[in-house]
Amino acid sequence: MKIFTSEQQFDYSWEHVSAANWQKYPNEVSTHVVAVDVLRREFYPDTGILKTERLITCKQPIPKWLSCLTGGDNKSFVREVSTVDRNNKTLTMKSCNMTYNNLLKVYETVVYTPDPSDPLNKTKFSQTAEVTAYANFQRICDKIEDWSVERFGQNAIKGKQGFDSVLKKLDIKWNSTIDELTDKTSVVLKEVTEKTTVVFDDMNAKTSKVLEEVNNKTNEVLNDTTDAINEKTQSVLTILTRKVKEGIFHKGSGNN
Amino acid sequence: MGNLMSTSFAPECTPLKQKYDGCFNEWYSEKFLKGKSTTNECEDLWFEYQECVKKHMTEQKLDKMLDDARKEAPFENGGALLNPDDEKNKKK
Repeated sequence: MKIFTSEQQFDYSWEHVSAANWQKYPNEVSTHVVAVDVLRREFYPDTGILKTERLITCKQPIPKWLSCLTGGDNKSFVREVSTVDRNNKTLTMKSCNMTYNNLLKVYETVVYTPDPSDPLNKTKFSQTAEVTAYANFQRICDKIEDWSVERFGQNAIKGKQGFDSVLKKLDIKWNSTIDELTDKTSVVLKEVTEKTTVVFDDMNAKTSKVLEEVNNKTNEVLNDTTDAINEKTQSVLTILTRKVKEGIFHKGSGNN
Repeated sequence: MGNLMSTSFAPECTPLKQKYDGCFNEWYSEKFLKGKSTTNECEDLWFEYQECVKKHMTEQKLDKMLDDARKEAPFENGGALLNPDDEKNKKK
């Protein structure tokens, strides 16, 4: 848990500030607050205390990679209970987020009182926030990383299957008669190029989708995997090229 | 003034909310702060607004979330967190 505190001064009377507090939103700065509702309100005339429970609706842009954890809707809710003590000129507000609180909880206390330096014209604002993160960030990253690697693995399998079918087809052709090979070498090579391009396009499309959904963080993982696949592909292509060349040489020497 | 008022989480409740807020703000400045009031006025507007809020809280499935938050930091407690020790004692 971490604690954040701050203190400020407003050049208005406590009465003014406490009345304005109910009309704080909407304002130009806090555009993330989209709605404020009163859920419960009780007035105790004997003590001059007014208690209010409010629901504050916020909308904040969430990084794309995080929205896969929080769901599509980026609306969040905060519950606030405030106590106005008219006789002691104190406004206390306690609030806590109700959404995403399994990841992070921010429990805030705000107190408005007349400022001792000029109690009739100035108001002191003090704020304390206790911030507790429940999921350690490394664990979230691990989860995203595992998920990405898994997704990438699935796509890589598809890529491998596609390439295998091309290789198998080629193998059959290579085993066919030498004369046919001569005529067909260029056709086969063209086919290989086309099929390989299709497979890689498919893989690339899927890969970029994954990349878009996750974030730079996972880029490393993806890059590692991509490198590995590229290396493999490269070596397969090298073998392929060699085989094709060998095929041509065999044919040449056979004719002689 | 109307367009400077905040909206409700449920757009359908916004007109009712703004009517109630208007009444409350007036009461707060003119009566509550001046110690002239012994009752929480604006009752009729309050009930109309609350009916709408409750309906939409249920529809948007927000009531469970609110119940949990209320248990953790009761209204009666001024919204202060219950001491974790108290919670443990309750369970015993």
